[in-house]
Amino acid sequence: MSDASGPTPGETLPGQQGAEPGPEAATSTSRPGTTEPAATEPAATDASDTGAEAGHGAEPRGKRTEQGEATYLVAIAEALWEEMERDERVFMLGEDIGVYGGAFKVTEGFIDRFGSQRVMDTPIAEDTIVGMAIGAAMEGFRPVAEFQYADFMSSGFDEITTTLGRYHYRTGVPLPVVLRGPSGGGVRASNFHSTNPEPWFAQAPGLKVICPAFPSDAKGLLKSAIRDDNPCVFLEHKWIYRRIKEKVSEDPDFTVPIGKAAVKREGTDLTIVTYGAMVHRALEAADDLGRDGVSAEVVDLRTVYPLDEETVLESVAKTGRALVLYESLRFLGIGAEVAAVIGEKAFEHLDAPIVRLAPPDTPVPFSPTLEDAFLPQVQDIVKAAARLSAW
Amino acid sequence: MADVTTGQREQGVPGEVSDASGEVPAEGEQHTEGMPEGMPEEQTAEEQSGTTLDQARAQIDRLRLSWDHLKRLLYLLSLTRHVDERLETLYRQGKLPGAFYSGRGQEGTHVGAAYALMPEDSLFPTHRDLNAQLAKGLDLKRVMAQFWGRIDGYTRGRDGNSHVGDWQGHRTFTAISHLPIAYPVAAGAALAYKMRKEARVALAICGDGATSNGRWHESINVSAIHTLPVVWMVNNNLFAYSTPNQLEFPVPTIAERAGAYGIPGVRVDAASVLDVYQATRVAVERARRGEGPTLIECVSLRWRGHAGHDPAKYVPKELLEEYMEFKDPVKRFRELLLALKVVSEKELGGLDERIAKEFDQAYAFAQASPAPSPADVAKGLWAGDGYWENEPRREGGPGGVGT
Repeated sequence: MSDASGPTPGETLPGQQGAEPGPEAATSTSRPGTTEPAATEPAATDASDTGAEAGHGAEPRGKRTEQGEATYLVAIAEALWEEMERDERVFMLGEDIGVYGGAFKVTEGFIDRFGSQRVMDTPIAEDTIVGMAIGAAMEGFRPVAEFQYADFMSSGFDEITTTLGRYHYRTGVPLPVVLRGPSGGGVRASNFHSTNPEPWFAQAPGLKVICPAFPSDAKGLLKSAIRDDNPCVFLEHKWIYRRIKEKVSEDPDFTVPIGKAAVKREGTDLTIVTYGAMVHRALEAADDLGRDGVSAEVVDLRTVYPLDEETVLESVAKTGRALVLYESLRFLGIGAEVAAVIGEKAFEHLDAPIVRLAPPDTPVPFSPTLEDAFLPQVQDIVKAAARLSAW
Repeated sequence: MADVTTGQREQGVPGEVSDASGEVPAEGEQHTEGMPEGMPEEQTAEEQSGTTLDQARAQIDRLRLSWDHLKRLLYLLSLTRHVDERLETLYRQGKLPGAFYSGRGQEGTHVGAAYALMPEDSLFPTHRDLNAQLAKGLDLKRVMAQFWGRIDGYTRGRDGNSHVGDWQGHRTFTAISHLPIAYPVAAGAALAYKMRKEARVALAICGDGATSNGRWHESINVSAIHTLPVVWMVNNNLFAYSTPNQLEFPVPTIAERAGAYGIPGVRVDAASVLDVYQATRVAVERARRGEGPTLIECVSLRWRGHAGHDPAKYVPKELLEEYMEFKDPVKRFRELLLALKVVSEKELGGLDERIAKEFDQAYAFAQASPAPSPADVAKGLWAGDGYWENEPRREGGPGGVGT
C-alpha cells in the first residue's frame, strides 16, 4: 500500500484510460436487474466483473461478499438505494448515472428500479445540475446530485457556494441537497481527476463536508446526509472505492451522525488526526510504529465540517503529541485548521510541537514518482511520528 | 366609475388568452422587429405613441381583461414607479444604506410578467426586478424594512436592498447578484412541478447581460430537453452595466436564440405592459399545458445607471430622451386608460395620493422596525438551529404577511 498505490490490476478509471471521450470499458457483463441487451455493452474489463470485489448498486446486498462484507462503493450504493426506497422525495441527477450507471458504477441498476425520472441523466452542465437540485429542493424534493469526479465541482462552484450554502441564512428556506463526488489521489488519475476539494467547501458557509474512510461510515453518513435538511458535500475517496471492505449494517435505519469523529485505533504516545484515504495510511503506519514500541492513536474526522473538536482535543490531551495528516493542500488545508484548534485549545497538553504532513501546494501530478512524492506515504508518517516521539 | 383598486390582486388570471393553436399572437413582436443592436428603429409618431385605441380595445377584449384588471395593472405600474423614485431620492439624500438598483423604465416588463402568474407559480428575479416582486405580491412594508436592514425585512437583515424574496409566501426567489444564477434554480423548480404533475410554472428573469453567461444557455437547453414548465424572460434594457447590446451578442436579437434550443422565442416592446402580459400569458399557458419553455425578450431601456452611484453617461442622451418620451410604460398605460375612459384624471390623482401614502406608511414601518440583534449574527445558518423556525410573528412582519 505504501509504495504501490497504483491501480489494482484490471481497474479502469473512468475517463482515464482508452480514448477519451469514447465509452469507457468499465461495464459489467452481468448486471442483474438491467434490461438493456447485453450486445450493446462494450467489452468488460473492469475489476468489478472479475473478482469478489464486484459490487455496484443493482442489488446492493447481493453484491456483498459471501461473508456479508461490503466495499465502500457497495456501501454507498446501498445507502442511496435504501434512501430512495424509503423516501420518494429523494431522487438523483447527474451525468451518465442512468443507463450507464455512473462513471464509477455506483448507481448501476438504479434506473431499472426507480425509473429515469428519479435517476435523471443530465447534460454536462455542472452549475445547472446543482442549480436544478436547489430548485427541486425548494419545492420539497431531496435531490442527490452526482459529480463524475469531485474535481468537476469547480464547474458547479458558483451555485454550490453562492446559492446553496448561503440560502438558508438569508431566507430560512432549507435546502436538503446532497452533492456526491469521487475525490482524492493515489490512483494515477492525474491533475483533473485527483483533487481534494474539501477545503473549498469547508470555507464556504452553510455546507456540511463529509469525507468517510470506511464502508460503514460511508453508508451511515450518506444516509444521514440525505436525511439532513442542510446541504451536504459528500466526498467519496476513489482510492477506497474497491480496496476497502468490511461488515456493514443491513439495518435500513443505520446511520452515522454527521460532525462526529471516531477513534479508529487507540494509542497512548501520539495522536494522528486524519480523514479519507489517509486514515488507511495512518493505520498502516501505526502498525509499523507499534512494532517499534510507539503507540499511536488514529482519529478519523469522518466529517471535516463541522469539525468535531471535542474528539480531537480529547485524544491530544491523552497523548500529548499531535500529527495532523491530510491530503488536501498544506496551506489552509483541513489539517491547518485542525492544527490551529489544537494549538489554541490544547496547548497545555502538548509535549511537542504539532506536526503537519500534507502534500505540497501544487496540482496533483501524474507520473508515479511524482504522485508518490506528492502524497504522504506510510514511511513519511512513520518518520514524522518518530520525530514527534523524540520530544 | 369604480374606484381604482389598490387591493390584493384577484386570484387567478382572466380566461384563456391564446387561441386553440397556442400560437403566440403577433402584437408583441411587431413593434421592435428589425431593431438590431437594441437601438430603436425609425418609427412614425403614431407608432411611437403606441397602438391605436381600437387595437388596444381589441387586445384587451382578447385578453379578457376587466376594468378591475386594468386598474390593478395601473396601480402596480404607478406603485412601482413611485417606489423607485422615492428610493432613489432617499439614496441620494444619504438616507438609504447600501445599494439601490433602479428598475425604472422597465415596469412594463416586470408588471406584465408577474401579473401573468398565478400565486402558486414561482418567480426567479434578479436585483433589478423589485418591481416584479412587488407585482407578485410582496409586502411593501417588509420590502422597506429589508432596505434598511431591519428585522421585519424578508431576510431579517441578512441581506439588503432588492436582494429580497419571499419563497414561503409569494413564491419568489431571494435574488442573488451573480447572474443568471437563478436560471438553473428555476429549471429545478420546474422539474419539481413536472415530476409531481402539478400545473405550476416557474418564471425566471435576467438581463441582457446575463445571456452571455453559460448558465443561461445550460438552463434553456435542459428545460427544452425535458419539456419543463418554465418561462425564460430576458429584460433587455440595452445595457449590461455600461456594455451595449452589440458588444454582448453577435445576433440581432436575443429572442432568436430560442431557435437553437427548439423552443419559441418572442420579442416584445416592453413599453406596452399589455404586450408583455400577453406574451407571458401565452408562454405560461403553454408551459402549464406541458408543452415546455418559451423565451421572451422584453425590450426597454434602463433609465438609470446600473446602481445608484452610476450616472450612466454611456447611454446616448437622445436614446434616453426617446425612451422617456415615447416608450415610458407607465405614462403610456395611464394615457391609454384615460383615453379608454377607464379612469379619469381625478381618479389618477387620487391613486397617486394613495400610493404616496402607502409608501410613507411603509417607510415609517421600516424605520420603526428593530435592527437585528448582534447576538444573532451566527444563527440561522443551519436548518433546524431554531433561528428561522422560531421567527416571532409580528404585525406586518414575518408570519404576518398580507395587507
